[in-house]
Amino acid sequence: MSQLSVSLRKSAAPFSQSRRRALQWMVAGCGCAACGSINARLLDFDLSAVEIASKTWAVLGRTDYFDMSNGGNIVNVAFIEVPDGVVVIDTGPSKRYGDALLALIEKTLPGKRILRVYNTHHHPDHFLGNQSFDANIIAAPAQVIENISIEGDGFTDNMYRLLGDWMRGTLPVAPTVALDAEQESIGGRSFSLFYLSGHTSSDFVVRDDETGVVFAGDLAFLYRAPTTPHANIHAWKESLDKLAGIDKDLLLPGHGPSDAKDESLAQTRDYLDWLHGTLSDAVSRGLTMNEAMIIPISSEFEGLGVVRTEYERSVVHLYPALEDALYPVIEVTQ
Amino acid sequence: MLRPLTFLASLCLIATSAVARELPEDPFESVMWQSMADRFMPGGDIVFDNKVIVMAPLSAENQFHVPITVDATALDNVEEIIAVADLNPIPLVLSIRPQAALSYVGFRLKLQQTSPIHVGVRTSDGVWHVAGAIVDAAGGGCTAPAAAHGNSNWMQTLGQTRAYAGRETLSNARLTLRMRHPMDTGLAAGIPVFYMNELVIRDDAGQVLAEVDMYEPVSENPTLTLKPLVGSDESVLRVSTRDTEGNVFEFPLTVPSSAGL
Repeated sequence: MSQLSVSLRKSAAPFSQSRRRALQWMVAGCGCAACGSINARLLDFDLSAVEIASKTWAVLGRTDYFDMSNGGNIVNVAFIEVPDGVVVIDTGPSKRYGDALLALIEKTLPGKRILRVYNTHHHPDHFLGNQSFDANIIAAPAQVIENISIEGDGFTDNMYRLLGDWMRGTLPVAPTVALDAEQESIGGRSFSLFYLSGHTSSDFVVRDDETGVVFAGDLAFLYRAPTTPHANIHAWKESLDKLAGIDKDLLLPGHGPSDAKDESLAQTRDYLDWLHGTLSDAVSRGLTMNEAMIIPISSEFEGLGVVRTEYERSVVHLYPALEDALYPVIEVTQ
Repeated sequence: MLRPLTFLASLCLIATSAVARELPEDPFESVMWQSMADRFMPGGDIVFDNKVIVMAPLSAENQFHVPITVDATALDNVEEIIAVADLNPIPLVLSIRPQAALSYVGFRLKLQQTSPIHVGVRTSDGVWHVAGAIVDAAGGGCTAPAAAHGNSNWMQTLGQTRAYAGRETLSNARLTLRMRHPMDTGLAAGIPVFYMNELVIRDDAGQVLAEVDMYEPVSENPTLTLKPLVGSDESVLRVSTRDTEGNVFEFPLTVPSSAGL
């Protein structure tokens, strides 16, 4: 069994695997004629914009975890053409991505000025492209700004560790505009602003009142397992209720395809219910985290992107609070 | 004149006998393997053994709390289990002597960087049965202040305990103990070393069932899972712990009878 796990780990270890993949790329690169430019080309994002609603484009990331092969392009960002310019929702995982996004916006909407950039929350894949934009127009709720200020450096360090050269030159840039209004008008377009929480301590949701598109950030996942490093499951489920109640024509989740039927809300809720129930049961049987990590994934969620990895991460995130909640206090004499 | 020569000769003999223990190649290719074996698995032969199961995540989601579960119940006559994180500044994490307990332990450790973890299980013939894992980690688990230091009255909650005391089979309990302690490594700036270093589980008659020695790399608020042997009736177990400042904490746990199994 342990021998087995040794051999499994040798092929499954994320570090050696990604390193190997990178090496394979290098070998392939050096075999071709354009050797000088190969590294630059390898580390280019091939971003494309999908028009999900009128004058509204989504840049859809893969439903994976960060690794050297995807460069961190695992997140959805969006931009909207409003009468006097462009509004951007989230900026991706790095300066390199932010630059690519900026180029894509310029290509799609030549000569249009970017008037507003929103950050939905403080996770690194959603804001580390901020550097490519004018900091004076980047806006988020005060709590998101504070979270970025406190945790941004640590996130950035870890992203360099996971993604290496893809991150080159990236620094965390916090939004400068603190939002608290229920609505704001940008370039002739009205946006409704919602201040929710649960995926993190502050999850910001934007609705374009003209098209009825709701940008849900990471409160909603579709066909990709939700992540929980800063989650409060109870608050998250309340936020899903509120999202379901918002009048809309389309919802763009933080990860996964755009969704016209609130399928992402139902799927996220069902997964959180299963996760919370499974881990509560494991804790109440006194299982160790490792024993909880090998519990089978419910067949309902087996098809979600990176569900095994995210489930194992969630064990570490959620276990301590469940232990504190479910184990009785013991009278100790000192 | 002959004396120094004799002395040298005997030194050589000692050196030869020390080298005589053949160290098997480490499947985890740790650069510290020789040192770990010499320092923490002295004496008998060393074999890598499938009967020792070490559960560890591929990657440390939180470098302050890396869960490890060791199950060596497939081996008979286990006297001691030790765990080391080879590349930690302080490698030795914990040792347990399961006198009247299954050879099993769950715990969490701090990791300073990506590291091989080696677990050695010593049987009564002196042989160390070894297994392990490599855990990928972001840096700094051992040199950052404990979370407790963010709260000025952390001393008041020192030793507070939550626990699960269940019955797993007719003859053994499953205990998960969660005790408040900062487990300061002494490596965070301005914070002296201060950790819970001893835990003993006894039955109601005072007989020792298991002894655990903990060291600096055990995670803050140590959370241990152990499986002491118990009779089929409801049993009271007595746990006592001590930290490096000499604070002693004692508490009883009641394991239900086997009627509910």
